[in-house]
Amino acid sequence: MMQGKLIFKKPEVKPAPFKQSYFIMDKYDVIMDRAKCITCGICTQTCSSYIGSATIDYEAFKKPEGILRIINTSNRCLGLDCQRCVKVCPTGALTVRINPQYLILGDKRWTADLILSTWEQAESGKYSGRYEFRIGDSGGGFDRIRFDFELEDKLNPSDVFEVEDLDTSIVLNRRKDGRPKITIPIPIYSADMSFGSISLEVMIARAIAAKAWKTFTSTGEGGYPKELIPFKDNVITQVATGHFGVSAETIKRARIVCLKYAQGAKPGLGGHLLADKVTPEVAEIREVVPNISLFSPFPFHNVYSVEDHYRHVQLIKDVNPKALVSVKVSTPIDVDMVAIGSYYAGANILQIDGGFGGTGAAPDIAKKNIAMPIEYAIPIVHNYLVKEGVRDEIVLMASGGIRTAFDIAKIIALGADGAVIGTSELVALGCKRCGNCERGRGCPSGIATTDPALKLLIEPEWGAQRIINMYHSWKKQLDYILSKLGLRSIRELRPKGVVKFKNGRFNHLIHLDHNGGVLERV
Amino acid sequence: METRNTASGNVFKERYYRYHIDVRDASWKIRLPKKFRVKIYNNCVNIQECVQACVYNVHRVGEDSRLAEPLEELCRGCHRCTLVCPKGAICIELNPEFQKLGDSYFTPERIENLFFEAETGRIPVSGAGYGGDFAGRGFNGFWFDFSEIVRPTRDGIHGREYISTTVDLGRKPHSLVFRGSQLVSEFPRLIELPIPIILDSPLYSSSGRNLSLVLARTANKLGTLSIIEAEDYFDGLKPYIFNLMPRIRPNGMMDYPQLIKYSRIVELDYREEMISEDEMKADLRYVRELNPSIIVCARFSSVNGMVCNAEIAVRSGVDIIHIHVDDRSVKHDPDIIVDTIRRVHSHLVENRIRDEVSLVSSGGIAEAAHVPKSIILGADAVAIGLVYQIVLGCRVCYGDRHRDDCPMNVEEADIGIASQRIVNLISSWRDQLLEVLGGMGLREVRRLRGELGRAIFYRELEEKVFGDSE
Repeated sequence: MMQGKLIFKKPEVKPAPFKQSYFIMDKYDVIMDRAKCITCGICTQTCSSYIGSATIDYEAFKKPEGILRIINTSNRCLGLDCQRCVKVCPTGALTVRINPQYLILGDKRWTADLILSTWEQAESGKYSGRYEFRIGDSGGGFDRIRFDFELEDKLNPSDVFEVEDLDTSIVLNRRKDGRPKITIPIPIYSADMSFGSISLEVMIARAIAAKAWKTFTSTGEGGYPKELIPFKDNVITQVATGHFGVSAETIKRARIVCLKYAQGAKPGLGGHLLADKVTPEVAEIREVVPNISLFSPFPFHNVYSVEDHYRHVQLIKDVNPKALVSVKVSTPIDVDMVAIGSYYAGANILQIDGGFGGTGAAPDIAKKNIAMPIEYAIPIVHNYLVKEGVRDEIVLMASGGIRTAFDIAKIIALGADGAVIGTSELVALGCKRCGNCERGRGCPSGIATTDPALKLLIEPEWGAQRIINMYHSWKKQLDYILSKLGLRSIRELRPKGVVKFKNGRFNHLIHLDHNGGVLERV
Repeated sequence: METRNTASGNVFKERYYRYHIDVRDASWKIRLPKKFRVKIYNNCVNIQECVQACVYNVHRVGEDSRLAEPLEELCRGCHRCTLVCPKGAICIELNPEFQKLGDSYFTPERIENLFFEAETGRIPVSGAGYGGDFAGRGFNGFWFDFSEIVRPTRDGIHGREYISTTVDLGRKPHSLVFRGSQLVSEFPRLIELPIPIILDSPLYSSSGRNLSLVLARTANKLGTLSIIEAEDYFDGLKPYIFNLMPRIRPNGMMDYPQLIKYSRIVELDYREEMISEDEMKADLRYVRELNPSIIVCARFSSVNGMVCNAEIAVRSGVDIIHIHVDDRSVKHDPDIIVDTIRRVHSHLVENRIRDEVSLVSSGGIAEAAHVPKSIILGADAVAIGLVYQIVLGCRVCYGDRHRDDCPMNVEEADIGIASQRIVNLISSWRDQLLEVLGGMGLREVRRLRGELGRAIFYRELEEKVFGDSE
């Protein structure tokens, strides 16, 4: 099998900043009592001589009175540890504090640091090391699993970008079924998000990025907008329970067809697109009436047994003899049984969507309480497929709560072949995880919306560049991880045998205890 | 309003109707503090980019064509205005008043959700993936399984398939005895409730007459039961006697013969006591002499003696066991309620007497998911206490801070709306229960009871995947 080093030219990194600076949400800000300030400028001099760049906004001086907020325009404020400006101020007009906005940005899984570092990477393809960019603060799963080298030495951001390019490609078809061996240069493709839940502009941005990286994006279940046809070689189309906009034509167009059985955020519950979002354009593509809520039922009402499932997969294969079939399932308690069933049904790719996956709208009770997280599901499925002797014939993709390059490496080390990325791409475009995707006119950042005015906030080219930049940084991080582990290829990272932890360690991974210490078992 | 119960003795109505809860808007005087504060610093140069940018209309232009005070209660914390402001003058902060709500268990977010449910009767829905802790203790320590591909599922949420939330409370015979073709065993005394939720008497606060009336009315509207301390009973509650479940201390039973006589269900409150079979049998005899058809529930509050008491209660012939764990204990150790329900249920199953009684549990119920979670651990139904108090204004002091000035003050004029708030809350919880049942492919809540095999336990998974053992 030809799996040599992929000849692939990475897309270029170009700066793609927000229109306005996001440093307004940086860790620290300074407030000044204008009544006390005598505009001596000592604070500015001190700051620029120490940090190398003034962090104080001169504009602020022009206002005559009141409390002014001085944002540090270069995100280099050292905050509470430094306080030099406060100390030198002769009148005590300045206060350095933790930015209140930083405190409310994000949540436990997607901390403010993760969002800001993703923005940083999307803007420049690099990260400064100013924010924690590898893990969140959820106290479990990826946030308690680290690579052993991470504990030994401190990561120096510049080291990462000096590592030579290593092989991070994976092949998406490992069956000998005569179908194409599609290779993607990074172990990532992007997740199913439908037109309607996100805007067309965002879909196009994702498609451009996928094309540049020679990987895939997906239409989700809301039909195949004609604007995506130029990208058809990099677009997966989804057949989901609502069958919105699914036709033989769209299936024939795709190189990979995804059969969506369940979604991690709302497993067992089907989809729900609120009436407000069903604009005439959305309705046309979905072949429905505008302004009416759309439910995609759960489950497929033509699949009630593993035999039905087999026929379902074969149906797609018959319609498009060249396509790979991906089966997307979530994580019930018997996810290993589901996986083996899909293998025998003929799936080329099995995508497992963990319980903490993203969604445009789902009941909170489902997001929190149904199905297990991906960190457990992947080892369970991997082990089962290994024991059944079929692991090397199916591609296992993980999704649902994978946020960073380190998460990807961890899930591969736990048994997956690659990862499917959704939320991170949206964060790269400016998502702040405020969770208001479904309210009123939709996403205030113009991402998960079909509002004609709001969607203009995302220009496809600009958005694509941000996603390209983020993947550029991720690719370098994957290279760095591989080099640290002494591996030449990402495929070597995936365990060959079963995943089995011993003293909290397995395959360069360490599972930490709740206090962040290395687990010691007697 | 005509009651829709088909309790023991009632003949099934011929007309078929689906259980339905009337939801109406119920916003009232008690409001939560706003979640966000929108601060505009003096850097503002009045270019009003924020007015354009905000999709929730927080920022407005005032009459003097300058920026007006932001409408903070509309803010949803999306940060958009702060990003578009070229001067960095806008800062969104969490309101400290909001942060002070509740405590570590009844968190501000939980209280916010309860208010939303009580005011609108809707299910909290949001975008983006779950953002909270990976897992936790107590009710946060396990997830529900769901159906995928090869198990029949239910689409009850959108009304296409009917999912029953009805439960029967009472004693079921171990076996039926026939003489010839004649059934001779006693017909089981059962109370059929359309929802597995009953209203506990107010905890940590005395219940004024108005509050009792609110609870009785609510129970009546919902077709469920309201537990009321016997001493709080007054004649105004007579129309609702069908939906009342008087709670009586066993040694005070002699004071309430009339109440026992006319109630269809009574709760004997054993609190922390350890009880012997003989004593309990004597108590039951006394009650049943007064009212032979009455259903008797025994309530226990001692966590340590729970299993023992429960077994004795079954053997003495009690119909329902009410496991009560104090909310304060659950706050300190969230595992306690999960362990207690599981232990009692498993013990009764192992002794093959589980089906002879119904289990009602209470304690630590703070969000909708806790109802199905209590049920999957082994309870038949759940009694809610603090949550309805919270939507009526309680600030979760456990009777400490506001002993004399309880903010949950229901006045005469508020009875209707207060009742509607609880109705809305429970309607929303029922819909969320349907979500869970639909996802799990169950057609009735009775099937969920004790389905431990379909609960995914965090600790077990940690051991299975990251532990040393196979």
